[in-house]
Amino acid sequence: MERKRFNRDRKRFNIFITKHFVEKMTHFETLDYIKNSYNARIRQLTEEKKAGKKIVGTLCLFVPDEIIFAAGADRVILCGGKNDTISIAEQYLPRNICPLVKSSFGSIVNNGCSGVKSCSHFSLIDMIVAENTCDSKKKTYELLGAYVPTYVLDLPQRPDSSAAVQYFLEELNKFKGVMEELTGNKVTPEKLKKEIISSNETRKLLHGLYNLRKSDSPPISGLDLIKVMQKQYVLSAEDFKKALRALIDEAEQVMAGEVDSKADSKADSKANFTRKPRIMISGCPMPGGNTKVPEIIENRGGVIVVEESCTGTRSFWDLVDESKDPMLALAERYIKIPCSCMTPNDRRIDNILELAREFKVDGVVNYTLQFCHGYNIERYKVQQALKNAGIPVLSIETDYGDSDIEQIGLRVDAFMEMLS
Amino acid sequence: MISVGIDSGSATTKAVLVIDGRMVTHNIRPTGFDFLSAAKTGYEEALTDAEVNKKDVNGIYATGYGRNSIKFADRAVSEITAHTMGVHHLYPAVNGIIDIGGQDCKVISAVDGRVTDFLMNDKCAAGTGKFLEYTAKALEVPIEELGRLALASKEPASITSMCTVFAESEVISLRARGFKKEDIAAGLIESIARRVAVMVRQVGLKQNVAFVGGVAKNAGIKVFLEKELGVSLYVPPEPQITGALGAALYGISKR
Repeated sequence: MERKRFNRDRKRFNIFITKHFVEKMTHFETLDYIKNSYNARIRQLTEEKKAGKKIVGTLCLFVPDEIIFAAGADRVILCGGKNDTISIAEQYLPRNICPLVKSSFGSIVNNGCSGVKSCSHFSLIDMIVAENTCDSKKKTYELLGAYVPTYVLDLPQRPDSSAAVQYFLEELNKFKGVMEELTGNKVTPEKLKKEIISSNETRKLLHGLYNLRKSDSPPISGLDLIKVMQKQYVLSAEDFKKALRALIDEAEQVMAGEVDSKADSKADSKANFTRKPRIMISGCPMPGGNTKVPEIIENRGGVIVVEESCTGTRSFWDLVDESKDPMLALAERYIKIPCSCMTPNDRRIDNILELAREFKVDGVVNYTLQFCHGYNIERYKVQQALKNAGIPVLSIETDYGDSDIEQIGLRVDAFMEMLS
Repeated sequence: MISVGIDSGSATTKAVLVIDGRMVTHNIRPTGFDFLSAAKTGYEEALTDAEVNKKDVNGIYATGYGRNSIKFADRAVSEITAHTMGVHHLYPAVNGIIDIGGQDCKVISAVDGRVTDFLMNDKCAAGTGKFLEYTAKALEVPIEELGRLALASKEPASITSMCTVFAESEVISLRARGFKKEDIAAGLIESIARRVAVMVRQVGLKQNVAFVGGVAKNAGIKVFLEKELGVSLYVPPEPQITGALGAALYGISKR
């Protein structure tokens, strides 16, 4: 099942790159399933809607799936990763806010993706559940209500203060009431417990998948993994879990096979073995449609082994305590997500250092979106902490456009040369 | 061992021929529209100059913006690594490099010829050769004269725009207000020096810093940069070719 990788995107990059980095890597059946799952999911959501189920759109990890599911609703993420809808958003929003907010807003007000494929979920939403995180999102949500009913969950911004959990718990209780009203279903502690256990299963599976990447030769490319993570909140919880189980099975089989073949021809493989720099991406999320920087990194000789981002570890790293009162356990777990809109956010720095050690990272790419002030300002702290730990950092600030592919490529080339 | 380094830059193409670790010849020409043909011409000229036969060349190594279009090269290397190796060859004690080229500006920190950190300006002409080219035009001064002119200034004008297009209009309005040519020139160069100095401090360069790239040929800029940074800068006799030299040496090191 081996086939040449890195060929798919060569049109966008120079042939030179492929000349040097063409590799054989294992092809996973499950990845095809995940990448092609979008249309099936749309059919599923349409069916559910017909049957009277409510569909909730979310834009952030701070909105607990568990409460939505316990109310008997389904959810789908609305974060935009595509460039196409940005010009639509700019009819309403200033140009100098982040591309993620513009892309999402453009898709929502356009009730789809201006004819762009794979965006039809935007028109299936009964209610958006948003959250007070960064300024761009907060103020944009004020405009969203005119298009889709929008509920905004408030967040305390100092998560370590004693009042924060209490306040967030109250907010979650209000949100629970909103969900009950939307669906007409009561959210009972039993239902919540069941959903907490189910979501923890997803988190444990993701831990299992990420654990495989700690290997000296990760069985799955970072680019493929990011595409899996981009589907985490698109697919239904059950389908995503199913896909994760299948993917882990496949990856484990490959790894077992590899160990055997290496043992057979030790001398041979040693001679051919050039170790690729192991990269962590840390920073802003990469919603579906946006894989520019991971593509550049892996096309130019790096291997991404972990993502410290909302489309990476931040989404699953901590479990919800199953032994506590469910609402309190949710409040405690979710308020600890190390987002840059929180202050202080030292938890994120500690987490980056811990991940760098666990995943044996050679270098970190600090990835930020243009005009994302939170992560852009936090960059300084991240850089300092990594420098002190002796881990090289490359900072890349970009948008969803293609115009800077070469400039980023040069920096990545130099970074790879520096690490190898 | 014969190796050729080609630096295919946005403005100029540089070729360097190295025999047994010693630079034998170099040449510089405008890149023009066709990256590949400028590189080919530079390569062939280097062979003729050094009286070397094509078949005796052990390797050709490309760097610079067009590095991936140089099809006849054996391998490409980033400008950042190339400049670092080239400068290390000329000044082994140097551990910091400022490179100002036609369309970008790089600040590199290095230990023993190996890059440890670097920073580049964002996708914008501010603080690059292009900035000088445009603003010199607005001043109606040949770009080669800009530095010398600036050195004659006693009271540099203040230029606040980082944007090349805005700085051009700022120059025109200063002219209209009757500012002296040399003071405007000095203001322009000071504004670049300030911008580069910020990058130098971010990377943390302190001493033994080299200044390379086409803009380093401009004596005035070196003086203003030194004043801004408070250190004296090493400028090679031919500051434009350190990238090509480094590429040739990089090739040797990878054989």
